Amino acid sequence: MDTRSGLRAWLVSPAVLVAFCICVALITVFQYSLRAYVPGSLDVGGLTLANFTGLNKPIYLDAFWNTLLLSAETTVLSLLVAYPLAYAMVRVRNRALKSFILIVSVTPLFLGEIVRTYSWIIVLGNNGFINTMLRKLGLIEWPLELMFTHLGVLVALVHVTIPVVVLMLATAISHIDRDYEKAAQSLGAGPIRTFLTVTLPLSMPGILASVTTAFAWTFSAFATPQMIGGGRVPTVSTLVYQLGFSSMNFPLAASLSVAGLALTAVALWGLGRMTRRLKAVGGH
Amino acid sequence: MIQKILTAGVLSSVLLAGAVQAEDALVISTWGGSFRDLIDENIGKEFTRQTGVPVKYITGGTIDRLNKAKLASTPESDLTFTTSHIGWLYVNGGLFEQLDTSKLTNYSHLVDRAKISPYHIGSWAYVYTIGYRPDLVPSSITFNSWNDLWNPELKGKIASPDFDPSHIIDIAAILSGGDASTWEKGQDKLKALKPNFKAFYTNDANSQQLISTGETPVQILLSMNAYHMVGQGVPIKVVMPKEGAVLGVDSMGIMKGSKKVDLAYKFMDIALSPEVQSKIVAYKKASPVVDNAKVSSEDAALPGVFTTKEQWATQAIVIDDKLRAEKTAEWRKWFTENIMN
Repeated sequence: MDTRSGLRAWLVSPAVLVAFCICVALITVFQYSLRAYVPGSLDVGGLTLANFTGLNKPIYLDAFWNTLLLSAETTVLSLLVAYPLAYAMVRVRNRALKSFILIVSVTPLFLGEIVRTYSWIIVLGNNGFINTMLRKLGLIEWPLELMFTHLGVLVALVHVTIPVVVLMLATAISHIDRDYEKAAQSLGAGPIRTFLTVTLPLSMPGILASVTTAFAWTFSAFATPQMIGGGRVPTVSTLVYQLGFSSMNFPLAASLSVAGLALTAVALWGLGRMTRRLKAVGGH
Repeated sequence: MIQKILTAGVLSSVLLAGAVQAEDALVISTWGGSFRDLIDENIGKEFTRQTGVPVKYITGGTIDRLNKAKLASTPESDLTFTTSHIGWLYVNGGLFEQLDTSKLTNYSHLVDRAKISPYHIGSWAYVYTIGYRPDLVPSSITFNSWNDLWNPELKGKIASPDFDPSHIIDIAAILSGGDASTWEKGQDKLKALKPNFKAFYTNDANSQQLISTGETPVQILLSMNAYHMVGQGVPIKVVMPKEGAVLGVDSMGIMKGSKKVDLAYKFMDIALSPEVQSKIVAYKKASPVVDNAKVSSEDAALPGVFTTKEQWATQAIVIDDKLRAEKTAEWRKWFTENIMN
């Protein structure tokens, strides 16, 4: 018993330490958000709520809306692309093909964020791969505006989110007992009906977990919206950076961070409420 | 057993030697990448050659380093390089030592614009100006004046830094009859430029990427950065508009509490020597901050490389550093709210 308690303490202590550090950081950010900005100084002034009341300007509301929209769109699109990939990866019997799908799916994770983002600039730019191909095919005369747009940021975010969703879904799908599917088929269900009535509901816990992760992951994305957006697609994280590190207005940056954190919590809570029933469907 | 003891002994010696070397080294806080190399190649190596003291570099972003310096109970570095207006934040925070200029041999040749405060002085200068790709803009377009940026033919072609809008804010104010202290006068003028902006770059690398791919063929950019790209084969033309270009001075200051103040002065002294300043101009196409540096005629002819008193007086648009340090947040906020979105 003593040995077990000791082992548990060893295992739990790093988590406690990390949690403590996160709490200290959050408290620091929170107290900064309630302090006045002093121009020309990094020191902050007295207590104030002005940082929060100033957040109702269109630019900040736009940033909140953009962030929510990008997170929701990225989550849905990633799920639509990742599910077939994860399904194929789990169910194909050919090991080489399985490995190929795995490599294709997770490669974006192994590229550095900056390298990956710069690659997208090359692909999406006026003289990039997509526009060049479309022009050569005679489909367009003038380049499509893909860089510094919501669409460009979305494409790049989906690309980086897919690996995470694939891995989570693959784990969920691999845990589905194939006997349920065989039972459905023995009762006359075709492959599509089996998938829709058995496989998909049973993979629901994985879908919900990946949706939650993808949403939160995208909400905090920084390098992609900053660089692909080129300052034209404001999100909460890019504004926090700009306010803090360009303007040195740490109190306003902190208040935006706190508001963003609260919005994430509310969004995830809402998502949890909406999907509670779906989660119950997948309980097996 | 003997082998283990020997291995441990050798390892300890190596670690101890490293620790002693780090202890002895003069520690310089600077930006990473090519700026660290610029300092090391041109000043650091000469310093070590003359004194035998190694130089250790702590690199990081401008604000990261300022934050770390503020939080440190004892200074992490002995000497810090930073932009002149951020240097004022070090000064206001009591982080820089007041300079004894009698210890700087070439101080009498320091140009006025490099005498920033009693606590920090310039190390080299540059301008933020118009740089463009002649191969990617209509041949009818010329840039004799900053006003030419407002040409409707440049719709969706311009990029400017997202981290510091002070240059274009000051220019808009000047073109509207004001200056940096009355910057509000230029607000409407700047709003009229909005359609011509395509993007706002995050850093020098991002600026290089956007202009080299032709994504933004016209930029308000750092002259040293533009010349670096020209050296890489990117056909960029750097312009000196008739109103002048916005001066930037990178500066150095000795950290209060440094235990190697004399060595830090020596480092500064070497940085300001005519020979080293000449090398900095040749290496980075910066402006020397002393008037007795030898500059090749090719480099002296480059827009934004100031070598004469007249150039400093007529071509440098100066934003007061203290005003800039105080106004940056306000300018940045206004720019984000009104121009970037």
